[in-house]
Amino acid sequence: MLLVFLCTLASGYSAEPAEYPAYDYRVERYRSRWNCLVPRYIKLQTGGLMGAVSVGSGWNYGHDHWETDLILGLIPKYSDDHARLSFTLKQNYYPWKVQLGQSPFSFEPLSCSFFVNMIMDRDYWVSQFDKYPNGYYWFSTRLRVNIGLGQRWTLRIPETRRKFHRSIAFYYEFSTCDMYVTSAVTNRYISFWDILRLSLGVKFQIL
Amino acid sequence: MKASLKNVLNNVCRIAAGLVSLVTIVSCDLLESSPYDAQVTGETDINARHVARIEQVLAGKTSFKFAFISDTQRWYDETEAFVRHLNGRDDIDFVLHGGDVSDFGVTEEFLWQRDILGGLRVPYVVLLGNHDVLGNGIHVYRRVFGRENFSFLAGDVKFICLNTNALEFDYSDPIPDFNFMKSQLQDENPAYRRTIYAMHVAPGGEQFNNNVAELFHYYVSSSRGILCGLYGHGHTFVAEDKFGDGIFYYETPCIAKRTYLIFTVDEDGYTYEKACF
Repeated sequence: MLLVFLCTLASGYSAEPAEYPAYDYRVERYRSRWNCLVPRYIKLQTGGLMGAVSVGSGWNYGHDHWETDLILGLIPKYSDDHARLSFTLKQNYYPWKVQLGQSPFSFEPLSCSFFVNMIMDRDYWVSQFDKYPNGYYWFSTRLRVNIGLGQRWTLRIPETRRKFHRSIAFYYEFSTCDMYVTSAVTNRYISFWDILRLSLGVKFQIL
Repeated sequence: MKASLKNVLNNVCRIAAGLVSLVTIVSCDLLESSPYDAQVTGETDINARHVARIEQVLAGKTSFKFAFISDTQRWYDETEAFVRHLNGRDDIDFVLHGGDVSDFGVTEEFLWQRDILGGLRVPYVVLLGNHDVLGNGIHVYRRVFGRENFSFLAGDVKFICLNTNALEFDYSDPIPDFNFMKSQLQDENPAYRRTIYAMHVAPGGEQFNNNVAELFHYYVSSSRGILCGLYGHGHTFVAEDKFGDGIFYYETPCIAKRTYLIFTVDEDGYTYEKACF
């Protein structure tokens, strides 16, 4: 029954009559709008307070100066009794792009990022659990606000040799989080270097 | 053939494990997966090893002196100043920390505090505070310092250290743990004559399970040669006979006040004084 329905749907879809240009135009516009939501790349990454191993996807826009990532990361167990996942919403800005001569390489000398990271585990709260008196803990253990600076090298794959990706980029970034900054600004014991964390990653540009 | 395949696989696994551990050693601090990663590097199981030192040095003695500090969370500079100050004294046998080494429960906080307190010439023991439980802090506390309920002997005095942060736990975790307290009461070790209780939150505190405060104190007062109770959490100095039976509970200020308590125990009992640095 379902199969028949799907077949009908498919045949109806493919046998679109061409004599309704207004309809075709609208459908095309509708599709192209939704197409904007198709993630344009995949990132594989380690560290940077976004998981020991993390997978991300997202969109680049604004002449490739801007990028929005959604990243799922794994926090291993270590001394805890279970591993956890973290979810990151990350906004990146690349002010400059330098083409390295005639080579297929380009270089972005600066990346600036702002990201919010969330641990997906019941033991962490966004605002304190109801059991506590009002204003008992002022901070969120679940949400971390982070900033980072880094660089990126991109290898453009020649069109003739493309299989799935337009380009592959390698990047690194130094970042830190709100809790580390809070600890460092009030203590000389915690130095600037103590609160820096590194992430290394590869970006596969699909679209 | 099978054996050689197994050998090859074994070697591959060994090389892979080696590479993974090498990468981990080189990069673990920098390539952090989360502030709550619970990845502990460096010294672990501090309390057990320091307790062994205290018990060995003070064995057979009936008089000694200890410093009582608490709530050092996110006051690294002050904690460092305390360590420098205490190392300048030569009359203190050990340091008791009433808990809250961390503020957010973040892994690095435990390690920073451990490294600072590790500069002490005398052994130190750290109790569990309510902030140390946040996130996955308790797992880091257990790894770095040890179990949250424990006891040790300093000369002829038994120190019973308890987790009293009931608000941080569900009913599935008995806080305070009366089974543990009972087992301590039943301890027939003749090496101790007197008892001191130490905890992060005293009965009456908002973290304490006050439904059992009276019962808790009944256990405390039933202990062999009970001297007093010690706690932190409130960040100020308090000396109070909480249950009107002459057994005092002493609250030590947080380290930001640059004040701590010194307890002198001798044959006849104990005295205390406030010390500043």
